[in-house]
Amino acid sequence: MSDLLSWLAEPMQYAFMARGLLAAVIVGVICPVLGAYVVLRGMAFFGDALAHIILPGVVIAYLLGWPLGVGALITGVLAAIGIGALSQRKEIKEDTAMGVIFAGAFALGIALLSTQRSYAVDLSHILFGNLLGVSAGDLWLMAALAAVVFLLVVAFYKEFLVLSFDPVLAVTLRLPVTFLKNLLLVLIAVVIVTSLQAVGVALVLAMLVTPAASAYLLTRRLPTMMLLGAALGAAGSVVGLYLSFYANIASGPAIVLTETLLFLLVLFVGPRRGLLWRRRATEA
Amino acid sequence: MRAQSPALAALWLTALLLGVAGCAPGPADLQPTTDALPTLAAVTLAPGDRLRVLATTSIVADVVAAVGGSRLDLTSLVPAGVDPHAFEPTPQDVRQVADAQVIFENGLGLEAFLGDLVKSAGSGAPVISVSTRIDALPAGLHPGEESGAAHAEWDPHVWLDPQNVILWTRTIEEALSALDPQGAPAYAKGAQAYRLELLALDTEVEALLAAIPDGQRRLVTDHEEFGYFARRYEFEIVGAVIPAPSAAAEPSARELAALETIIRTTAVRAIFVSSVVSPALARQVADDAGARLVTLYAHSLSDAAGPAPNYLELMRLNARLIAEALGG
Amino acid sequence: MAELFARPAPHDPAAPPVQVEGVSLAYDGVTALRDVTFNLAAGARVAVVGPNGAGKSTLFKIMVGVLRPTSGEVRIYGGSPGGHVCIAYVPQRSQVDWTFPVSVADVVMMGRIRAMGLFRWPTPEDWRHVDAALLRVGMLELRGRQIGELSGGQQQRVFLAQALAQGAELVLLDEPLSGLDVPSQEAIFSILDELRASGVTTLVATHDLNLAAERCDQILLLNRRLVALGPPAAVFTRPLLMEAYGGHMHLVPEGEGVIILTDTCCDGEEAVHE
Repeated sequence: MSDLLSWLAEPMQYAFMARGLLAAVIVGVICPVLGAYVVLRGMAFFGDALAHIILPGVVIAYLLGWPLGVGALITGVLAAIGIGALSQRKEIKEDTAMGVIFAGAFALGIALLSTQRSYAVDLSHILFGNLLGVSAGDLWLMAALAAVVFLLVVAFYKEFLVLSFDPVLAVTLRLPVTFLKNLLLVLIAVVIVTSLQAVGVALVLAMLVTPAASAYLLTRRLPTMMLLGAALGAAGSVVGLYLSFYANIASGPAIVLTETLLFLLVLFVGPRRGLLWRRRATEA
Repeated sequence: MRAQSPALAALWLTALLLGVAGCAPGPADLQPTTDALPTLAAVTLAPGDRLRVLATTSIVADVVAAVGGSRLDLTSLVPAGVDPHAFEPTPQDVRQVADAQVIFENGLGLEAFLGDLVKSAGSGAPVISVSTRIDALPAGLHPGEESGAAHAEWDPHVWLDPQNVILWTRTIEEALSALDPQGAPAYAKGAQAYRLELLALDTEVEALLAAIPDGQRRLVTDHEEFGYFARRYEFEIVGAVIPAPSAAAEPSARELAALETIIRTTAVRAIFVSSVVSPALARQVADDAGARLVTLYAHSLSDAAGPAPNYLELMRLNARLIAEALGG
Repeated sequence: MAELFARPAPHDPAAPPVQVEGVSLAYDGVTALRDVTFNLAAGARVAVVGPNGAGKSTLFKIMVGVLRPTSGEVRIYGGSPGGHVCIAYVPQRSQVDWTFPVSVADVVMMGRIRAMGLFRWPTPEDWRHVDAALLRVGMLELRGRQIGELSGGQQQRVFLAQALAQGAELVLLDEPLSGLDVPSQEAIFSILDELRASGVTTLVATHDLNLAAERCDQILLLNRRLVALGPPAAVFTRPLLMEAYGGHMHLVPEGEGVIILTDTCCDGEEAVHE
């Protein structure tokens, strides 16, 4: 038993590991909360597109010497609102429009970064995360953003619920639909920005979608889905980080792999959707 | 989820991994110690024309300029401040390579980009490694390996030992004289003069570093770059943030943890990072372990107005900074 | 950009609940509705019938305020639809996401969102309203079920309960009876009877002409334009039906009367401009 404890404690004697763990847990908790909406409304492609569209903003911040988070946040919010506005137009399918912008923005980001002439490491950090390099300041920023997002989700919970379940009902009930839609998109953007340092642009979609998808298979109530998603997200982050430490692999991908394995476990071994719930209902 | 995104990411990952080959070129490229240069044919130069020479890094360029002087039309490829390990050439660079009549590289795997670049340029100009004849160190002794075993990787940072740069001048002189026999006397003179300066530099650096007591003669760097320096000036390399000869690699969590432990237990006072590398990770390690972060000019000259505009100044500056950080 | 919250429109209880004047909706060269004009009195139960693509859902969406007509005007209790919270729209069952993780009670509670206001969570008072609404539709025991686990009739009743919880005075039901067996249809109608008794105006879009004739006060016969509005006997005449249904209808004589066969399937065809 003490072996297990020392095995668990060993990485934690290093400040950078402790910071990495906290960062990963923050990401693991807040992503599935928004991820619930992403999963239920089929917005996975949007989430991925948004993450990639943020790249040029990050690169510009990097080239100008600004904190990367600032560039990401500004671009993310603008992109979220822009995509929201674009999806109203009829000339082109939303899917296509997003695909075009997604690829173009991503290429722009890499082109800008390549003006640096030796950019490989920094690009790999932006794409796949740099969890080991999280500073105390980064951690505070992440926690603050996550807290703001969480508060807003709680504040507008029932409005988001109606908007996601039945958009026509939202109009019938005279909810401020445009404002709410944009707010939700912006919150998703903020969550993506928060997660960039942990898992990077290429993998942040996994943190948004996978734990929430696992939770979806386990429950039939939305609040439970969010809580379970957060729990699975955090658990996967911790296990993934330990895995990266002891197996000597990159931490961001290790976390994503763990979340994916958890999902597969739930899919094949977990109680079938509704079964657990039904059993409870008949016993009650 | 659409198929675009994972495919795109996979494509980039592949491109990244292929492009960032770091210091692991094929064994055929690496001849750490050879006896001689390849036979070079003399180039016909019209009167008034200068020999078109391309040097890869700013440091190589500086030394070539010192030897060749005004007889050369010299350009360098990797701009000041850019990391040669991760340098990505552009189409303009292909043209520069094509125009040159001779190319001087550091060799030993530093210029991972050069092989393909030369092939693309297709000019057939000879590529001379100035580090020919240098007794190369293998790249980082990994635990469990014996020194002397055949290595795929060599430490290319030979220039941090002025004695190696003296060997450079011989190679450069020989090559230039073969290509431009008329200039041979000028090259001999230039090389000889520079060698005297290098010897003086060597003495000066040794004196500057003498102030550091034995117990403090330990170096922790951002990657494995000070091997030759340590060998020449009697330092011990305690660890590196990236335990690889290239800054384009990534340390694992365990490697960082091990480094932090080493820094703490050996009471090392400073971590030295190269000016061309992003110091973010090293800064975290330094902060956590209670060490200072010091920037040295290890891969590149500064620009002309900066503190290390030529090789001699670069070495003096580095020596001063190290002495300051570790001394007394 | 629209203001954050729609300003409440004037609600004049003395005005007719529905006044539609010259409403047309056209886009991309397609005419979904042309010059529709009618008024309805409070408490009326009106069946909206017509062939596929007649514009029934479109008309409902304009009345609710989801779509804007290209010309013409809709007034609900004297004001534009946009400001009213007294209108409930019960969607076709095929349009609902039944896999969404909400329970029966959750769906009904949605109707109370405006009563609750921003930044508020449901209070016991709100749950009492919800339970009362569920009781009226006979769904109280199933309040905890996820909505996908219900039968068709039960699902319909949940949305009616939502309309009740909303305190709606005008309820639009889009194909509420399709796919329901007779007992379930009866259950729906008894709730609609209660609504009528409390003065709630209901419009029921349906393909079932017999039920429409039997159970509704008025028939609104629609085929992109208003063909007729009046009591069933007056509207269900051969010439009017032929005008509305055109080739989509077949009259089969049977003894004393006539059997009307119409296109009843598939809600396709109707081009809806979201």
